[in-house]
Amino acid sequence: MGIPELTRDGPSKVFLLCNEAIVRGAIEADVKVIAAYPGSPTSEILDSFSSVASNFDCRMEISSNEKVALETCAGASMAGMRSITSMKSVGLNVASDSFFSLSYTGVKGGMVMVVADDPHAHSSQTEQDGRPYASSAYIPMLSPSDPDEAYRMTKAAFGISEKYGVPVMLHTSTRVNHQSGMVQTGRLTRTPFRKLNWDHPPGRFVTVADSARKFKAELLERTKKIEEDFAASEFNLISDKDSDIGVVASGAGYNYAFDAIDILNIQPALLKLGTTYPMPKKLIADFVSDLSTLVVVEELSPYMETPITAIAKDANPDLKIFGKASGHLSETLEYNPNIVAEAFAKILGLKLPVDYDKISRRAKELKRGLPDRWPTFCAGCPHRATLHALLQAMKGQKHVLATDIGCYSMSFMPPTEYGDTLLSMGACMGVAAGLQYAINEKVIAMIGDSTFYHAGLPGLVNAVHHGDDLTLIILDNEVTAMTGQQPNPGSDVTAGQRPAKRLVLEDVLKGLGIDDLTVVDPYDVKDAAARMKEALSRKGPNVIVSRRACALYSDRNKRRRGEAIVSNAVNEDVCKMPYMCVREFNCPAISIDDERRKARISEELCDGCGVCGRICPFGSIQQKNGGSS
Amino acid sequence: MSAREFSIFMCGVGGQGLVLLSNVIGSACARAGIRALTGEQHGLSQRSGSINIHMRIGDGIRSPLIPLGSAGVLLALEALEALRYIEYLRDNGIVLMNTRVQHPVGETAAHMKDKKARYFSVDDVKGRLSKVTNKLSAIDAQDIARSVGNPLTENIVMLGALSTIEDFWVPEGALTEAIRESVPKKAIDVNLKAFKLGQGAAHNDLCNVVKCRE
Repeated sequence: MGIPELTRDGPSKVFLLCNEAIVRGAIEADVKVIAAYPGSPTSEILDSFSSVASNFDCRMEISSNEKVALETCAGASMAGMRSITSMKSVGLNVASDSFFSLSYTGVKGGMVMVVADDPHAHSSQTEQDGRPYASSAYIPMLSPSDPDEAYRMTKAAFGISEKYGVPVMLHTSTRVNHQSGMVQTGRLTRTPFRKLNWDHPPGRFVTVADSARKFKAELLERTKKIEEDFAASEFNLISDKDSDIGVVASGAGYNYAFDAIDILNIQPALLKLGTTYPMPKKLIADFVSDLSTLVVVEELSPYMETPITAIAKDANPDLKIFGKASGHLSETLEYNPNIVAEAFAKILGLKLPVDYDKISRRAKELKRGLPDRWPTFCAGCPHRATLHALLQAMKGQKHVLATDIGCYSMSFMPPTEYGDTLLSMGACMGVAAGLQYAINEKVIAMIGDSTFYHAGLPGLVNAVHHGDDLTLIILDNEVTAMTGQQPNPGSDVTAGQRPAKRLVLEDVLKGLGIDDLTVVDPYDVKDAAARMKEALSRKGPNVIVSRRACALYSDRNKRRRGEAIVSNAVNEDVCKMPYMCVREFNCPAISIDDERRKARISEELCDGCGVCGRICPFGSIQQKNGGSS
Repeated sequence: MSAREFSIFMCGVGGQGLVLLSNVIGSACARAGIRALTGEQHGLSQRSGSINIHMRIGDGIRSPLIPLGSAGVLLALEALEALRYIEYLRDNGIVLMNTRVQHPVGETAAHMKDKKARYFSVDDVKGRLSKVTNKLSAIDAQDIARSVGNPLTENIVMLGALSTIEDFWVPEGALTEAIRESVPKKAIDVNLKAFKLGQGAAHNDLCNVVKCRE
């Protein structure tokens, strides 16, 4: 089962997504324990492991959050096993408390953590740069640019981790994680999974006060040694140093710099930095010593540029350095070859062979009137129904909605444009608590089941304890939907579809002291609206659970079981065009006929949830086979 | 750009099977010893949003993103999306598009408010695109996919059409082998049929304006 390229013995050349290549590298490195919480752009690491976990003798879990995942790997690696976790860089915020301590205590077995940035905030709340975490925690870091390098670095990272007894961070970004390319795989030599005996003296992994001070002194020595090693690392590449113009680049930035050099047909000296913490100062000093001009290409913060500027002050005081500080490259958005080529052309006084501005202007002209296509809730998505019911329930009543991270975050986008605050995983609870202190309006918090188990629990405990006047809506759709429908603590399975205990949300809520609990089915949209209205009119804290499986997830299961998905259709003779199925509903399967102006439903896109039929005042929407929806 | 480099900008709407399509091409390249890389989109944008994959074939390139104005082919599984990414097409490059239009929910919301509003149509798209290229071919891939008995094979119909283009030098045999490996066993036959019919559709239209393989 799973992706054949991950389970087939090598060596062979295969086409893999970078996230799959990382998995392949870890499997070849004989990793034993895998724990992670999904998060774009790393989710396919967890999914790929999950799809092949049964082929290998290992232990794998989908953890309730990144901190638990990191600590699970820490425990296994303290004992001496190889472990790996992956997270987006905002996930490391959650895990960071233990991350810093773990640098002090160290580990015995190799431990690798993949941390991925999301420049452009494609699927994230911020464009956070994860690299400064490595330097401030003294955790060694490697930054690959493509799938093959990610595969090789993952394998090497386990060795580095064991040599120095410290976790190693593999730093990536969206355009690295979501890049597919050729990977030269090696042999798959696995050893059987055997439990170990704890062979450490008492206090070996305890860091506090005196032991913390001892660990700190040791980790500074460790970092010096790693830096010496990294100066000779195979992951730092210097290309023909025959020019007085140099480029230092890393990660995704290296790919764009490489192509920009090709576009402009120039031959600068090029240093590709693969070991990004500790940075090999001597290697950099040697590289810049004969240059007159240096360009640093890296996305987001000037993480490399600032120390390189400091190194150059001694090594080559006359060196002119260009990048973010000079204003030629931005600290925001992701780069691409033309952005970097434009920067190079400007810095070096060259003419671009292509007029990118002209291309963009012409395209803008051609696209005038082309409608935007924002991401939206899938046809059949229970969130659409819940939001519709909520809007009906709160009609005419002023309120503030503190929302959270998940598919339902999309409610703030056009055309729905509903929702007032969104900070981070689980933040709706704390923000709602502050709002109910501060404002006159009704306060509603909204969170998905997975996010609730991830970081919402402490906020609810706090709200119950203080008697906060707020209503929490938990959208329980069985899975962690946005990242690819992974199981969560509310599922009866975990990684690799292995059985797991399903936490019953009602029991959890009652256990936390919630006495006022309402459970609705959003597909029964009118009943849901009526009962939500009642619950929302009561003093909080109270909770509404809106329960219905993710449509993508349940439709896939239906297809697997061979069940038909029967779409709905509009009976044009009955339709009087009140557009209830369009207004505040916005289903991608529903459009309006150009001529007759009646609503129509796309057979391909409709998943037959029937909610539009229930909100139609004239009953004009029915199942295709004639049955009632 | 390097001599032997060919980029295909692929786009569509979340859920149309763009990732499978790029995986098939990539695996076919691996089979044929051709270097390929992609810049893909996963996550939030998949939810019925506009999605794109940058597919690059050949040596001497590193960026998974295609520079503006340098894609040899713009392959669109949905018509509006062909226009949305037109800045990636190189001068007089090839546009290979599906005639299918999926109306964005925002456009439908605007429709509700204005009785005179008309949807942006496939003819609107063709009209605009013909201003920048005369190598434009639109295929009713949805109709062909339905005719083979599986509407989900639209992406493979478009791949069949793509495979006829001479500049796209990935061998046909490698592509069909990659299809066999990438789709569920029971769906192999319909997908290979969809591929063939896509080729046929291209021969009737695309190959009148573009140099095709013999």
